[in-house]
Amino acid sequence: MAPRSRESHILFLLIVGLVGWLVPGGGHAVLRQKRHAIIIFATILLTFVAGLYIGSVGVINPIGAKPWYLAQIMNSPAVAVLGHLSARGDYAVYGKPGEIGQIYTSIAGLLNLLCIVNAVYLAHLRGVEEVGDSRCRE
Amino acid sequence: MSRVAAAFVLATFTVPEKISVDPRSMLWLLPLVASIAIVYKATKLPKIRAADFLKEVVVLFGSIVVFMIVTALTLYVLAWLVTE
Repeated sequence: MAPRSRESHILFLLIVGLVGWLVPGGGHAVLRQKRHAIIIFATILLTFVAGLYIGSVGVINPIGAKPWYLAQIMNSPAVAVLGHLSARGDYAVYGKPGEIGQIYTSIAGLLNLLCIVNAVYLAHLRGVEEVGDSRCRE
Repeated sequence: MSRVAAAFVLATFTVPEKISVDPRSMLWLLPLVASIAIVYKATKLPKIRAADFLKEVVVLFGSIVVFMIVTALTLYVLAWLVTE
């Protein structure tokens, strides 16, 4: 297999990162690591949904809790839709359940960030290996 | 019937659960530690086989919980020494 050009390699890394952000585990799915992708998807989704269940949709608050929202948005851009819904303040959120929900949803986002970085790094390593293989053949 | 069930499920996401502020509420950290251990090991292991993966996850889960207990006990003793 011919090695990718520098531009297409960077584009590939961007696509892996973007897909990993759109769908948790998507970056690993692009790299054909099915088991990794399924485990990451299921775990991050469950953690995020558990946070919403415990604290209500109101834990996603782009106005009153911006630092938490930055972590939560790392789950997927779909979180912005929930943020738009909850910004009107229709959903109750208070006390311990609110704290736990916020922590769960934010940790889920940070875990997805870890997975995105890991998928991009693996994609980069593959590109480097391809270049190394082609040089060995020369 | 299914619409009622769907409405019921959606309604559970619009109201916070009832969680009291007591030492038992600390147990809510366990599912979170489990998901951290699972995702971290999924990124670290190059190939995932059920038995190896489970073993690695359990070891990491146990390590985190033990470290947190030791930290909590240390802080408790420190706080007791300072306040007594």
